[in-house]
Amino acid sequence: MRGKLFYKIFGTYLVIAGLAIGIVGILAGNQIRAKLEAQVENELMANARIVDLYPMKEIQSRAEEIARIARARVTILDREGMIVAETDRDAAALGGHLERPEIQEARVRGRGTATRYSQTLREEMMYVALPIPKGQEIAGYIRLARPLVEVRKSVEEFTGILLKSFVIVLITSVIMAFLFSKRLTSPIRDMEHFTERLRRGEAPGTLMIRSSDEIGQLAENINYMVDELQKRIAALQEEKAKVEAAFSSALDGVLILDPQGRIETVNRGMRTMIGERYRDIVGKTPLEAFRNIGLQKALDQYRSGGTLVSQVIELGEGEPVMLDVSITPVRGVDAAEGKTMLVFHDLTRLKKLERMRVDFVANVTHEIKTPLTAILGYVETLQEGAIDDRETARKFLCTIARHAERLNRLVEDLLTISNTELGEIHFSFESVALSGIAQSVLHMIQQKADEKKIRIASAIPEDLPLIRADRDRLSQVLINVLDNAVKFTPEGGTVSLSAAPAAGSEVVVKIADTGIGVPRDEIPRLGERFYRVDKTRSRELGGTGLGLSIVKHLMTAHKGRIEIESLLGRGTTVSLYFPSA
Amino acid sequence: MEETRRTITHYERELQDIKQNLLYLGALAEKAIANVTASLLERNSDLARQVIEGDAEIDKLDTEIEEKCIRLMALRQPIARDLRFITTAIKINGHLERIGDMAVNIAEKVLQLNEVPQLKPYIDLPRMAEIAREMIRGSLDAFVREECELANRIRRMDAEIDTLNEQIFRELLTFMLEDARTIHRALLIMQVSKNLERIADHAKGMADMVVYMVTGINVRHQWPGDTTEDICNVKRDERE
Repeated sequence: MRGKLFYKIFGTYLVIAGLAIGIVGILAGNQIRAKLEAQVENELMANARIVDLYPMKEIQSRAEEIARIARARVTILDREGMIVAETDRDAAALGGHLERPEIQEARVRGRGTATRYSQTLREEMMYVALPIPKGQEIAGYIRLARPLVEVRKSVEEFTGILLKSFVIVLITSVIMAFLFSKRLTSPIRDMEHFTERLRRGEAPGTLMIRSSDEIGQLAENINYMVDELQKRIAALQEEKAKVEAAFSSALDGVLILDPQGRIETVNRGMRTMIGERYRDIVGKTPLEAFRNIGLQKALDQYRSGGTLVSQVIELGEGEPVMLDVSITPVRGVDAAEGKTMLVFHDLTRLKKLERMRVDFVANVTHEIKTPLTAILGYVETLQEGAIDDRETARKFLCTIARHAERLNRLVEDLLTISNTELGEIHFSFESVALSGIAQSVLHMIQQKADEKKIRIASAIPEDLPLIRADRDRLSQVLINVLDNAVKFTPEGGTVSLSAAPAAGSEVVVKIADTGIGVPRDEIPRLGERFYRVDKTRSRELGGTGLGLSIVKHLMTAHKGRIEIESLLGRGTTVSLYFPSA
Repeated sequence: MEETRRTITHYERELQDIKQNLLYLGALAEKAIANVTASLLERNSDLARQVIEGDAEIDKLDTEIEEKCIRLMALRQPIARDLRFITTAIKINGHLERIGDMAVNIAEKVLQLNEVPQLKPYIDLPRMAEIAREMIRGSLDAFVREECELANRIRRMDAEIDTLNEQIFRELLTFMLEDARTIHRALLIMQVSKNLERIADHAKGMADMVVYMVTGINVRHQWPGDTTEDICNVKRDERE
């Protein structure tokens, strides 16, 4: 395929060559013609000079001779212009020649010349005429005419040579143009392919052009640019990958709004945060997507002020998520683009913890205050004179002791919990046979059970694997759970303790009762500090609300776990999983 | 040429602005219903008072949106679809404002109900409120996305609310027949129910307008269900 460049170069050559040859042809052709014509004229004129030698009559008779010598047609005219002698027979009959320009000129100036196309000979003819003198008079005219065949031929020959050389130039220029354009275009085409590949995003490699001229320089520049470009692209891609990784793995939710305020990007953190409730939010405005007044207010505030805004909003219903939203502009290359980034930080857990802490303080205060109030009340009464009544005083002291005991228990429980949490309790784990400990624990609980006429059943197989536990803490766990079981089982019920090996080298200890049970949705909350299903009732029974919480903590310390199943009104089963030794 | 294009985008932005404002108003109305329902269920008078105070914002936004619509009509002289959009916006605006007022009505009743012992556990009322809110949300979604099918679905939800309203009425009637002392409370509850039912009516009105906006067919006084089923498709066939 010949490119346009070929035709351009070829055309240019052609025009230059054509122009040069054309000009030479016209100028030189004319020059040659003029020279030759002058020569012919001179020759004819020299021959015509015979008139100076001979008189009219002599010339008349020697016309043929003259014609032969002069290689010309000779016409002798009388002074009237009538032909007296004519060497060309075909023209002999022709009439008056006085009007012919050469004759006229000869008559006036003494010599005449003319070039004319002869119809008879179909040839350019040169006519030369001289008057034949006879003293002072003109006796007649001699006219020599010769066809300009030679001149024509010479000029034609010359033109032929020119044409030939033009053809040679033409062929040469085609070849030259082809070679030159190829030489010029092939590196350009290489560059074109190169940039095309670059444009399509393929790895283009390096442009190989060995040339020291401008094209070589250009190729070198392109290579440099491509190299630089690829470095930049690689750096950008890395940067982008980093940002993307941070963006998608961040726990915080990120939304990016386009300049029209529509959601453009949502990260994974955001999707987890808002859950299933809000799907297909891309392309919508936040108002369309969330219908959240707080969020919209934050956005409006940001838009009117254009500054960073941070605000806590509540999203969703039922169990709303508390989100701290910060709004910042995304600064791109184009400042007018005006994208906005919304970063959401989930505060739900934090708020929950905060509430739990507040609850805890309130609970502890409350728990301590109740026995304290009682103690203070009784002490005051005693002070005011009741101390004198021995019987009443003793009763009061008993009550005070009971409340003090309760306070003491509470503080001990709290200490246990905080120590377990702080890791300050020293556990001495050893291989323990459950049956022995169970025996002593059951013995301790027996009295309380008897008071309520509760039957205690124990079924611990002899071949139960040893468990890895701290003896004292294990007793405490069992006491707490059994105590609860007895506490929440009405009179005449049954509490049973059983144990069995469980899957995964664990031993499960089950404590089942036929008590009041726990509503299903309250089960997960058992173990929270001071959590009571039935607040008044539990307190009447003398619980601190910390028992299960302690169990939970101790079980964790034992690398075990606790599971609670319960049916309201039917009873509760607590399963304690211990790792076997 | 450049000038014209800029005017168009500006015009479009104005339409967008109205849309977003209506969504915000819708969110306010929805929130009012949610709050008033919570105030009833939790016997939280503070929340009820909050709803009553919050109506001022709804009223303010209502006026603002109406002004924007009227100005846009006067200055831009919208035609065809845009004109239908604006008229729809004005109507939806009115509906939402009325919904806000009804939330206030309910809040007032709740304040009275909270003064006296609860007559019965509320089961159907929260369901009604939930459906009403869904209808408002759905209508606005349909409005923003110009979705005829969604609007139609919302229109049919109204029947559910009517059924619940009647059910509550019958139930309260038995209470009143049994014990005359419950009449006051029962009447208050009935008014709450009635207001919720009317909120749903307004939400349906909004959906009607969306159908009109998308198709150009007025369905306001037709029963949703029979003929309206294929309204959206009829129009689409014509368009194609």
